[in-house]
Amino acid sequence: MNEKTKNLVTVCLMAALLFGTAFWCWIKEADAYTSGERRTLAQFPKLTAEAVRSGDFMEDFEEYTVDQFPLREQLRSLKAFTALKILRQQDNHGVYEYEGHLSRNGDPVSEPMLTHAAERFQYLYENYLEGTNVNLYFSVIPDKNYYLAEESRHLSTNHRELVESMQSKLSFMSYKYIDVSQLLEAEDYYRTDTHWKQECITDVADHFASGMDITLEGKYTTEKLDIPFYGVYSGQYALPSEPDGICYLTSDTLSRCIVTSFSTGSPRESVLYNFEKAEGKDPYEFFLSGSEPLLTIENPHADTDRELVLFRDSFGSSLAPLLAEGYAKITLVDIRYMQSSMLGNFIDFEQQDVLFLYSDTLLNNSLALR
Amino acid sequence: MLFSSIPFLYYFLPGVLILYFLVPKALKNTVLLLTSLFFYAWGEPVYVLLMGAGILSGYVSGLLIERFRGKCASRVFLAISVTVSLGLLAYFKYADFFIESFRTVTGLPLSLLHIALPIGISFYTFQTMSYTIDVYRGDTAAQRNLIHLATYVALFPQLIAGPIVRYTDVAQQLSQRTHTLSRTASGIRVFVLGLGKKILLANTLGELCTVYQESQDKSVLFCWMYIIAYCLQVYFDFSGYSDMAVGLGRILGFEFMENFRYPFISRSITEFWRRWHISLGSWFRDYVYIPLGGNRVSRSRWLLNIFIVWMLTGLWHGAAWNFVLWGVYFAAFLIFEKLFLLKKLEQSRILCHIYVLLTVLVSFVIFGAADTGSAAETLGGMSGLTGLPFRSPEQMYYLRSYGGILLIAMIGATPLPKMLLSRLAERKTGAAAINIAEPILLAVLLIISTAYLADGSYNPFLYFRF
Repeated sequence: MNEKTKNLVTVCLMAALLFGTAFWCWIKEADAYTSGERRTLAQFPKLTAEAVRSGDFMEDFEEYTVDQFPLREQLRSLKAFTALKILRQQDNHGVYEYEGHLSRNGDPVSEPMLTHAAERFQYLYENYLEGTNVNLYFSVIPDKNYYLAEESRHLSTNHRELVESMQSKLSFMSYKYIDVSQLLEAEDYYRTDTHWKQECITDVADHFASGMDITLEGKYTTEKLDIPFYGVYSGQYALPSEPDGICYLTSDTLSRCIVTSFSTGSPRESVLYNFEKAEGKDPYEFFLSGSEPLLTIENPHADTDRELVLFRDSFGSSLAPLLAEGYAKITLVDIRYMQSSMLGNFIDFEQQDVLFLYSDTLLNNSLALR
Repeated sequence: MLFSSIPFLYYFLPGVLILYFLVPKALKNTVLLLTSLFFYAWGEPVYVLLMGAGILSGYVSGLLIERFRGKCASRVFLAISVTVSLGLLAYFKYADFFIESFRTVTGLPLSLLHIALPIGISFYTFQTMSYTIDVYRGDTAAQRNLIHLATYVALFPQLIAGPIVRYTDVAQQLSQRTHTLSRTASGIRVFVLGLGKKILLANTLGELCTVYQESQDKSVLFCWMYIIAYCLQVYFDFSGYSDMAVGLGRILGFEFMENFRYPFISRSITEFWRRWHISLGSWFRDYVYIPLGGNRVSRSRWLLNIFIVWMLTGLWHGAAWNFVLWGVYFAAFLIFEKLFLLKKLEQSRILCHIYVLLTVLVSFVIFGAADTGSAAETLGGMSGLTGLPFRSPEQMYYLRSYGGILLIAMIGATPLPKMLLSRLAERKTGAAAINIAEPILLAVLLIISTAYLADGSYNPFLYFRF
């Protein structure tokens, strides 16, 4: 190939690439949602004189063109491949792969975030728990990264430092700390997701039972959903990854439990395992239907009248059913989705067990707690 | 609108190229002007009027300067034109800086104006000034066609980030330019390489700099990693943008001056500034330093001239004291070199490279710092005298994660890759391999750059604030 041919090929190839892609951009219909990033995609902005004058139109248009770019998911994979495999970067948007597990680099312990979480707990304590006969428990679930980072030489949140700091901030109340960090390992979490696997945490449930002085028989049958589960890290990592499977535990006791949701303010029948949600955007919402501000699990055949109030994040969704045997009623409260000040309308605190169960990640990024 | 953005690459640019190559020759400048105004208005809908006023002032002044050539009025019109340009710059870029500095010194309760900086104002005002000064000096004829002059000032490839194109360099091309296959291919090559420099290198290095700035866990190693990454980021950001401008210009039939020529291989600071932001250095030389008398004056006046030029160069980069300090810092080294050091530097090749790199690295600590306090903090950290640990596990992670890109950037900042390619091209089979590989590699680079953009990567352009 001589110089002239090279120039001709260069111009033709680049023109085809530029104009072909541009034409595709111009005519492509807008997608609504990206499953990889689990978010809605920007749509063509409304064109108004004010939006143009303020520059909002241009900003929104740029967002729209990036979100709606043809083959965006494939290009994200190409970017991840370039960063991880060619430039040898250790993570893509903080997410890395180690021995088949996808995980996210942990942030340094954030004292302001822990303080915020502690302040929210203090509000609950002072308004509902102080002066009652409740038994208080507190536990922090280590991030999966805690079990991988040392070996994979990635960054992790210092779980022990976080727990110690949190404990010092909760000195206003008397509680028992239940440490589950020794019972878990990376394999107890989904390979592509941040959450733990229900079938791997029966020992964790037993440990809570022992800590809170309840009895669990713990005999379950393991069932498996026939759907591939691409966890939250899968889309963020952007390179192809093998899906997880979702297993869930059943028993006679669990099948008789009555689940009631208060997400609309009034009671509505719900389920422990939501098969419809399993086919949705986040299959982990299979457990207790995902984001629910207030739920109760009643066990009509319980040998006890004890009750548990579980202040929790999403990890609690798969654990709570395993504690159902030991209680007549479990009330799950997620103060990310309801104002703490509303709680008095739904729960009378008297002598329940009250467990604050949160993950490292949530406590270290606690602004969502209300 | 950034060159390194999806709207520019796949909406604006294809549209402009289609229009530009479809219209007859007589309308090409009109197309360029209108699309350039659209390009500017995209980011600055209101300030496009300001730029229009600047262009009009330059146009009328140029005609009047020529009309009254040799008379006192000519000088008056030049003064008016320069005052308008500098006035725009002083008001929109420096007003708050001056007020704040005055307030600090006097303690008077003056309130700031909070004026948003119009993008590219430092570039287009300098271009307008160079035009009227050149007309006054008789180096060029005044442009009678307003569209031609407006196209020169507003031409989108160099509008917001340079290089600072002299009117005399493109005057001929404004009315008569040719488009050839080899020039178009060369323009594409330079543009895509610039895009890759900006997106793959500068933006990735920028991520490391952000990590450093946000980290509470500093160490000696981290300070050094940061400043090396920052220095390379600025280089690839700015030279990448300049390359894109040069490439686009070439596709459109213009030839802009090279703005960077491997500055990090310099053996003195004097040489560094002949290789870094060449269009700015030559602008200050021709329109400030030489009119002040250059070096053909007394020694003390000569040193004062250098000091003034470099203080202004620093101030041009930003309305903050750290930029002034940055300029004065270079003035000190340039004066020192001219008086004592240049001859000594010639004695050791290795030492002079170490000297230049250290001097430049320290200068970028000043350049990149939010204030003089944080510059001192980073410099202290680099020295290892402030009690910081040498390293921490976190920083070793970042070194592993960004080590590859740092190495590529360091090699890419030298002429080594170009030399290797030239050697290869000397052989017949090597030349053939390059000819086959080049178009494919350019296409791959464009696709990968697009992939980074589609992934929504970090993408600010550092020189916007100038």
